[in-house]
Amino acid sequence: MNGLETTRVSSRAILWVALVLLVVLYGFPFLYMLFTSFKTPLETIAVPPTVLPSTWTIENYTSAIGRDGVVASFINSVVTAVLSTAISLVLALPAAYAVTRFRTRFGRFFIVGALVMRMVPPIVIGVPMIGIFRSLGISDTSLALAIAHATISLPLSIWLMSSFFEAVPEELEEAAKIDGASRLGALWRVVLPVTAGGIAVTAIFAFLASWNEFLFALLLTATRSQTTPIVIANFQTQFGLDWGAMTALAVLYSVPVILLALVLQRHIVAGLTAGAVKG
Amino acid sequence: MMLRIHRRMSRRVLVGAAGVLAVVTTAVLSGCGAGGGAPAAGDDSITVLVEAGGHGELQPIADQFETDTGTSVTFVELPYDGLYNRLNSEFSSGSLSFDVAALDSIWLPTFAEALTPLDDVFTDEVQSDLFPALVTEAQVDGSFVGMPAWTNSEILYYRTDLFEDPAQQANFKAQFGYDLVPPTTWEQYADVAKFFTQDTDGDGQVDIYGTDVKGAVETEWLATLSQTGEKDMVVGDDGTVSLGDEDSLEALDFYTSLLPYAPSGAAQLDWAGSQNLFNQGQVAMMRFWAHAYKQIPADSAVAGNVGVMTMVGGPGGVAGVPGAWYLSVPAGTSKQEKALEFVQYAYDHNELSVDTDLGLASRISVLEQYQDKPGYENYKPLIDTLNAESTIPRPANPKWQEIVDSALIPMIQKAVVPGADNQKLLDDAKAQVESIIE
Repeated sequence: MNGLETTRVSSRAILWVALVLLVVLYGFPFLYMLFTSFKTPLETIAVPPTVLPSTWTIENYTSAIGRDGVVASFINSVVTAVLSTAISLVLALPAAYAVTRFRTRFGRFFIVGALVMRMVPPIVIGVPMIGIFRSLGISDTSLALAIAHATISLPLSIWLMSSFFEAVPEELEEAAKIDGASRLGALWRVVLPVTAGGIAVTAIFAFLASWNEFLFALLLTATRSQTTPIVIANFQTQFGLDWGAMTALAVLYSVPVILLALVLQRHIVAGLTAGAVKG
Repeated sequence: MMLRIHRRMSRRVLVGAAGVLAVVTTAVLSGCGAGGGAPAAGDDSITVLVEAGGHGELQPIADQFETDTGTSVTFVELPYDGLYNRLNSEFSSGSLSFDVAALDSIWLPTFAEALTPLDDVFTDEVQSDLFPALVTEAQVDGSFVGMPAWTNSEILYYRTDLFEDPAQQANFKAQFGYDLVPPTTWEQYADVAKFFTQDTDGDGQVDIYGTDVKGAVETEWLATLSQTGEKDMVVGDDGTVSLGDEDSLEALDFYTSLLPYAPSGAAQLDWAGSQNLFNQGQVAMMRFWAHAYKQIPADSAVAGNVGVMTMVGGPGGVAGVPGAWYLSVPAGTSKQEKALEFVQYAYDHNELSVDTDLGLASRISVLEQYQDKPGYENYKPLIDTLNAESTIPRPANPKWQEIVDSALIPMIQKAVVPGADNQKLLDDAKAQVESIIE
């Protein structure tokens, strides 16, 4: 092995060590939560804490699932996240397309304005939303919460989709128009399929923004539309903390997102790298 | 080829879009929301906003209320901090989703203006069956705004297996010259805490500590402050801040003097952590809220070996901090009559809260009725602590929560670091509290 190869192997070894450390750093909290969810109630509060359960039990899972409102909150979380993602995409796609293709001064102002909206603390819009949704007769519904969540995900969705549309050569649309397609037809038949990966990425971000959101769910939901993050938080009360059930529910709640990320992994990678190199 | 791929992708996008549209339509048409029952919109129902941990205390009352009156009660449970934010937001927006709220005592002054006065409910008979500190606390600007649903206070927990061990008793007497008994004074508490900080297996490591010292919560230090005989808890009625005076320094000095007999990490120790330490058998004594007596796990290291006593006393005598939750009716609810009826009903049927997870009540007569029954040994110490002359409520100051979060807890966290200058910390905290209430 010559010097150059030795250096290359050493570099790769350092890289792998760094990667493993990074994965451990990110993965350990989740693994600890996972292991805690299988501990007995007493072991969850052991001092000093243990990493692996000495006795494995699913008691925390049965306790968490059996608690009033947990299953309903799961359904509410799914419905809210899907609705919010749909609202974000339905509004973000045409907005981003218009901004990137028409390049008007108003468009530039609009897209900066959308970013500014991200800088407004959510509580500022949360309080008036309580009254607005009540007067619309949709308070304590998943629709109201989804609309609120869309205020978080929409600006990001517009920006993300703008960058993806930007990467699509206008010549593709021109070609479609020459074949007789209208602008809408070109968007529907050519641009959207080409940016499918980007749409998947945007959808995932929008979905996650809603899935994990806490403040709006706290302010805007009650008995009918309460989502799981609130139910998880309810395990910590002023009078005690049920670590086992809390971690069990948190693990269950993270499963759909992990599955979603795995299923759409190919699209995510493709979407994230789209536009990185323009040809 | 490209065209085929595009067509295939286009179909996928179309199918996906249709799917999303179907979900949206279904959700919108179905009224959106899978949880619980319908909201309490009709005249025969009310909604009660409650902290998740306190829900259980009210459920038996709500069930009986529905049976007796036909009015159903829907609870909306929220985490402690979230409940405060929710109340704040709804009162600010003027749009209310609840008819009754269970409020922590320290929130009453903050929300008093938005609450319906309960003066008619607080008859002389009612007041005489409530602890004096609770009667004081329930009033803001001369008007009653909350009816205590249950009350709490710190009491003393100790391990009977250690205190009743003849060898420990003999060693303690030899070392301190008096019998080993559950402590009633600061001096005794410090002696016992020092004594039980022991290396039981001789490996050079401490295996059990005498006590804990909580740095991440303020109430225990406030109880210690009252035990000095301080009559103004941090902020007086006239707005004078008492931090930095002789009593507050004495309280902080005693509080931190216990650090050598407590596990490390005091600055981060909160209620949950403290409870865990005791239940794991790592400390011999703990000053803690009375409800914890019912929460000792059956498989805990100390199960069956826990005794309870009245909170310890300082130079000013025994004192605790009342930890009551109050039922209040927002002035903005349209169901005033039903809401007030529920508040009155909860008071009248206070004994229904006794057999719950927390097992707490607010009426003296109810606590006294159960105090001698097995399983309710924590009631007598609770009654005695709440009746103690030096037990006073927290100040009726709308900025109290901010004072706690911004000044008191940071001060205590710094004080439990060895070598801290307690006088300086108190003076700094005083300046901060003054700027908050200015």
